[in-house]
Amino acid sequence: MTANQMALPKKKKRMGIDRRRSLEAYIFLIPWLVGVCLFFAYPIFVSIRLAFSDIVEFKGLKTAWVGLENFQYIFFYDINFVPTFLQVVYDTLLNTPICLVFSLLIAILINRKMVGRGFFRTAFFIPVLLGSGYIMKQLLGMGADGATITTGITVPRLIADLLGVSITEVVQGFLDRITVVLWKSGVQIVLFLAGLQGISGSLYEAARVDGATEWEMFWKITLPMITPIILMNLVYTIVSFFTDGTNPMVDYIYKVNFTNQQYEYAAAMSWIYFVFACIFCLLAILLMRRHVYDSGSKS
Amino acid sequence: MTVSKKSGALKSKSIRIARTVALRFMFYFLLSALSFIFLYPFITMIAKSLMTDDDLYNITVKWLPSRATWSNYDIAFRRMRFRAYVWNNILVGGLATIGHMFSCSLTGYAFARYNFRLKNVLFVIVIMMMIVPVQVLIFPLYKQYSDWGWLNSFLPLVVPTFFGMGLNGGFFIFLYRQFFMGLPYEMEEAARVDGCGPIRTYARIMLPMAQAPMLVCGVLSLVWHWNDYFEPGVYINNPAFRMLPSVLPNLYALLNQENHTMIQVNELEGIVFNEAMLMAATFLCIIPIMIAYLILQRRFMEGVERSGLTGM
Repeated sequence: MTANQMALPKKKKRMGIDRRRSLEAYIFLIPWLVGVCLFFAYPIFVSIRLAFSDIVEFKGLKTAWVGLENFQYIFFYDINFVPTFLQVVYDTLLNTPICLVFSLLIAILINRKMVGRGFFRTAFFIPVLLGSGYIMKQLLGMGADGATITTGITVPRLIADLLGVSITEVVQGFLDRITVVLWKSGVQIVLFLAGLQGISGSLYEAARVDGATEWEMFWKITLPMITPIILMNLVYTIVSFFTDGTNPMVDYIYKVNFTNQQYEYAAAMSWIYFVFACIFCLLAILLMRRHVYDSGSKS
Repeated sequence: MTVSKKSGALKSKSIRIARTVALRFMFYFLLSALSFIFLYPFITMIAKSLMTDDDLYNITVKWLPSRATWSNYDIAFRRMRFRAYVWNNILVGGLATIGHMFSCSLTGYAFARYNFRLKNVLFVIVIMMMIVPVQVLIFPLYKQYSDWGWLNSFLPLVVPTFFGMGLNGGFFIFLYRQFFMGLPYEMEEAARVDGCGPIRTYARIMLPMAQAPMLVCGVLSLVWHWNDYFEPGVYINNPAFRMLPSVLPNLYALLNQENHTMIQVNELEGIVFNEAMLMAATFLCIIPIMIAYLILQRRFMEGVERSGLTGM
């Protein structure tokens, strides 16, 4: 033992604890690092290169640098890109708050003790089971080919007559949107539910002793305590709306890529799209940040 | 005087009871209304899948079919070659889930428990993995897999998951990181003092405690892989390797075609493929995953609550 230690050079013998811990960490990270290189970093590199160039020869992907030509084409010649893009931005801006408000509401409702808790929890999770796939895309009537079974829930005739055409249209539009949005908020509900469970019951007890009402407790305890999850859900929601399969922009990029086979062009388009998604997330984080409650114990 | 006081107390008590009852009623009403929105497309799907041809075109029939027919399921079952494709789905979903549970837990553990050089830079990559949509990378990946000869096999769907990539890999890494960050450090320190190496500490001490995130990761990964049609649709053309959700677009296309021409007849027994059969096929697609979820439902929810996603 001692002989062995003597034989080692002095430097190696006393490898700092930090160094060793660092090395251990990298052992755990090996699979992921390999994955990042093969399936993430390299494709990103190829994709960026494609966005700025023109494919000369498809075999082996030989490309010629053309600078911003692809981007110019997208903004100045493509008649589909800008309108589709604006539509997606508009939808995301409208859907994200609806999604967050309703999933928080539902999470608060099913967090209580009640009859049929298991049933309701399953009901609200059903969209996750069916969702994210072709089935939901078709069921929600957003399929490209129009074979649909539902167009949301309609305003009852009696109420429609009372309200008049213009208001009914607005309400109907809202209802249509709600169905679509709620169907995409399964994960958010689950995350909010987890957050609500994490709030210590003693806070509510103390508040109740001091005579606080449920309403006050919501604004003074529940909401501040779950701000970290609101932030997380906000980012998750924006990303999921942007990358969703039912999104017209995603459809369009896919079409340009595999139907029209304009790969460089699709790459440029998806990068513009991605940069905007990032900007949205950053804005959301910056806006939310100062309101986020920090328990100080974690992170 | 005492009497009037008593009656006043009684009155306020009855008012309070009435208020509680009203609030209860409102609560259940709201909950039922919201769950109806969630279940509406689902119920419509099941109802439609049981209708006969006559019911489909009869506008007075909206919910309950006048005569439930199971033959739709029979036809859908054969039409989509359910028995052949469901095994593909189980294989891919199962392997990919195992891959995610293995690689994402390792990565999440390293990020939660160690300080190492470039930690922040690498964590930014994890966040990027969550934000960069598949659509950005799909063509380079497609080219790469075709160079490696991986097209028309399950490799592009399964292998990346073993390296922490794949469908929503970043999300799962984040999930494990959040969970491990919430565990006490004393466990590992005790293990190290007793001479337990890092990998054994992880495998013998940390993993057995990580049942909650394992379950959450398992269920979500399985469900997402099961429903995914985008990537399989890009990488797999060979009918032998199709998966259930990628069969559906074909069926929908078929239905549209038949609506227009009305002479396209099913190659099976000369039956015209109708919407009811399509709905039956759609429902068949998700039955296995629904059964799996119903079995795991309670434990999954507990897992979500305990996986510590709360502390961000």
